[in-house]
Amino acid sequence: MSEFLQHLLNTLVLGGTYALLGIGLTLIFGIMNVVNFTHGILYTFGAYIMFIVVQKLELNFFLALPVAVISGWLLGALVELTLLRPFRGSDIDTTMLVMIGAWIAMQSATLWVWGGVAKSVPTPFPEAPLVLGPVSVSWLRLFVLAAAALLIVLTYVLINRTRLGCAMRATFQDHDTAALMGVNVDLVYTSTFAVGSSLAAAAGALLGPVYVVYPQMGDLAAVKAFAIVILGGLGNITGAVIGGFILALAEELGAGYVSSGYRDAMGFLIIIAVLIFRPTGLFPRAERVG
Amino acid sequence: MMRSLRTVSFIALATACLGGSALAADTIKIGVNEPLTGAFAASGTYVVNGAKIAADEINAKGGLLGKQVELVIEDNKSNPTEAAAVAEKLITSDKTPVMMGAWGSSLTLAVMPKLMEYEVPMVVETSSSSKITTTGNPYIFRISPPSSVEAAAFKTIVDKLALKKVDFLVINNDWGRGTAEDFSKMMKEKGIEIGVVETMDQGAQDMSAQLSKLKGTDSETIIVTTAVDQLTLIFKQAAALGLKKRIITTGGSQNPDQIIAQAGAAANGTMHLTTFLPWFPDQTPNPEATKYFISEWKKRGFDFAGCTESFRGYDGIRTAAAAIEKAGKADPAAIKAALWDIDVKGLNGDILFKKSGPAGKESGQSQPNVYLIEIDDGKVGMKSL
Amino acid sequence: MKLAVSIAAVAALASVPLWLRDPYLLNALITTGIFVIGAMSLNLLLGFTGQLSLGHIAFFGIGAYVSALTSLGFDIGLPGGFRIVHEPWPPLAGFALAVLVAALCGYLVGRLSFRVRGAYFVIVTISFAEVVRLVALNWVELTQGPLALTSIPPMQVGWPGLGEFVFRTKLHNYYLVLGTAALCYLLIARLVDSQFGRAMRALMENETLAVSIGIDVTRTLSIAAMVSAGIAGAAGSLYAHYMKIIDPEVFAFINTVTMVIMVITGGKGSLAGPVVGGLIFGLMPVALRPVMAPEAQWIAYGGILIAILFLMPRGIVPALARHFPRPNPAAPEAFANRDAKESA
Repeated sequence: MSEFLQHLLNTLVLGGTYALLGIGLTLIFGIMNVVNFTHGILYTFGAYIMFIVVQKLELNFFLALPVAVISGWLLGALVELTLLRPFRGSDIDTTMLVMIGAWIAMQSATLWVWGGVAKSVPTPFPEAPLVLGPVSVSWLRLFVLAAAALLIVLTYVLINRTRLGCAMRATFQDHDTAALMGVNVDLVYTSTFAVGSSLAAAAGALLGPVYVVYPQMGDLAAVKAFAIVILGGLGNITGAVIGGFILALAEELGAGYVSSGYRDAMGFLIIIAVLIFRPTGLFPRAERVG
Repeated sequence: MMRSLRTVSFIALATACLGGSALAADTIKIGVNEPLTGAFAASGTYVVNGAKIAADEINAKGGLLGKQVELVIEDNKSNPTEAAAVAEKLITSDKTPVMMGAWGSSLTLAVMPKLMEYEVPMVVETSSSSKITTTGNPYIFRISPPSSVEAAAFKTIVDKLALKKVDFLVINNDWGRGTAEDFSKMMKEKGIEIGVVETMDQGAQDMSAQLSKLKGTDSETIIVTTAVDQLTLIFKQAAALGLKKRIITTGGSQNPDQIIAQAGAAANGTMHLTTFLPWFPDQTPNPEATKYFISEWKKRGFDFAGCTESFRGYDGIRTAAAAIEKAGKADPAAIKAALWDIDVKGLNGDILFKKSGPAGKESGQSQPNVYLIEIDDGKVGMKSL
Repeated sequence: MKLAVSIAAVAALASVPLWLRDPYLLNALITTGIFVIGAMSLNLLLGFTGQLSLGHIAFFGIGAYVSALTSLGFDIGLPGGFRIVHEPWPPLAGFALAVLVAALCGYLVGRLSFRVRGAYFVIVTISFAEVVRLVALNWVELTQGPLALTSIPPMQVGWPGLGEFVFRTKLHNYYLVLGTAALCYLLIARLVDSQFGRAMRALMENETLAVSIGIDVTRTLSIAAMVSAGIAGAAGSLYAHYMKIIDPEVFAFINTVTMVIMVITGGKGSLAGPVVGGLIFGLMPVALRPVMAPEAQWIAYGGILIAILFLMPRGIVPALARHFPRPNPAAPEAFANRDAKESA
């Protein structure tokens, strides 16, 4: 029984991080219809920013987090302006391939600059875990869960309660009409990509200290993010959050009670099953996005 | 790191520009086929840096057969197809009479048909799959221990640890699977009970699910086999889950220093089966060479933690060089014959090849030493038994 | 005219071993050729039905494993105490089975997953490839998992007793790959030009209209997926018998990415596109290797990819075709041309 409780607690902690990975991608992939292969490398980027600021510059851990988020925002805006804007109007395959090219180049650049040896980021949290009866969890993971929840709420507010969010929703429903109504469509595209990228960087900044930081760390994270977005339905933020928890639960129980070799297969099997039986995801997008 | 990679590219460039024939008269080439990009980039780069120390040392002492040694280093991109292509290039374009490679077992296995095709020997420095020396490839000379050798070495100390029941947590590749198989077999012979065998994917970062399961079993010891990054994560996550079982790692590329630096107190009390003792040069089989290697490694500004990987590159090149010296000429067939006769004082024991695999086409396998060390209070200590 | 160009291209490629003596480059051409066959099969799906499969390596890998296991033999236990013991068969039988099994998988995957389109289809195919990889990794009794299948015999034609030919040398394998590639090219060209090909393209252009004139969507797409997967399986079989070792890394995502790059840069929906794109991106690493550091090679690879897409968003072959218009508008290349006009 205590093993089962521990699996549930693990699910909660892991699901929070998956949800964070998912919401950034659901904005870009779901709303902009860009199969964004740079999502994983922005996650890696956020983690390296943490490493540079905390380990190399020896600045405060909590100061480093916003630095990583802002850096991710800037890099995302740069990628959109230089790589996606020239390809506006191209089909989904072409932009996907551009993103693949950017992914390969950026990941290799990371390897070139920092080498392949994994780095770790020191944290101000105590090493001894929080013990709750038969189960325990590290303080750092709890902090990550709380920070992820905060970021998810902020994103939700941004999309649903701000002028920018309104413009985003309008643009992705019908970008011609939105343009006619005076929405600056170019700005909306850049903002959306930048926000999605900054969320990826935030996920990396939060998880880099939990795990270790190395150039390929984003690859598996990106695959999971795609899975979560599909589970939750394209462009559906609430769906991505729920999808993250479902994936975490499937992996935990799969590894705990079926076979750890097939742990990563659980998520994919769920996706295949969901798409065969509910082709639009568990939580299909309603008339509007957000 | 930047510097070293520029050197790699410079050597590659020089080789390409000057062509094989121009240099062949002046240098003796040794091919190095390692992963410098992709999933195994960190380890491959360490091995290459160790190899360079060996080559520089040999050249400083006057070279081989009156000529300078030249390493032809190529990146196999952590990809078996590329590893085979690199072997092809090293043998046919660069005309290297002997090679070292290719780190991972699947990379080495992909190279092996090329060795048969061109009849060029290769010193295998890291790969652990038993298939490498048992499929009848007479051009393979391995200095790293396969898991069966490691298990046999562990057998002599296992009694003193008073193990009763052990679980395994291994990386899901030939190395992890092979270790679980060979160690289980050995332990069963010793009357130790085997519990569950859990695996993790190579890139996985979160092992909490597997560890939660291991926390709930009635075993008192967990044998863990994987590379250093995942080991660090496992120690941290095990501590977070309150998993208080004895952990013994195997495989010899644990980099205990990196584990201590990154996992902190979570690493205390863990034991590691390792093949090299850079912390206690005096206790290694060849203290002088070990001290030279470590001082050279530090002088070049590399991370001390990399020593436990890079010494294999150093030993591998010295093995190849000894064979060239013995053969008296840079000829593949002569070097292959000479590899059977060499006795190199390696950093982890005498490198002396014994026959392994089907009769008539045996591969060479040396028997390196295996040590058990323990991390205590943030320091590496020999486990006193 | 088109036929003349194709024959000239095949003749030119066939003459390569006569003047290229470097085994390293020949090896690069053989592995590139194998991936070009994979890319051609992907093009059938992506270029002519518009469905992007990011799991195409699954069929390639299934072909490789089926072929290797057929020629090596295996012995597995099944639930309920059954055992399947398979004695080794000649590699040619492995090749045939590889095509059949991969095609069957392609049909089933197509049947099930063409219910979803666009981004969803992309993710289903990635998921399928990952599940297949994990099965290859974990079903150790059959595939030996990460321990790899080794000592795979070289391809041979003929049957024991009737005289046989073994493709031992690089030269043999070069012509084997070239011959298979030419056959696959012909097969795809015939298919695309047939009634069935017109149905595929009609679906890609306007699905609603296609359905209204009586085209069975799922059947058409499933058959396209079946042929595509069968060709990919053939490429996988060639890979297994040439490399002589396969392990689950054959399913690596980067291999799918390589094929997609070959198709789209060359020009999807153009028959020659994957061949041109494939030769460029297959041989580029060989060209980059001596001139720069390993990491820089990858950065250049990504940069050149983006540059080609920027300069020729429809792909190299359609871009060239626009400069040298063909007299025959029915030639399949013309479709890519027309696409370009539409998007302009």
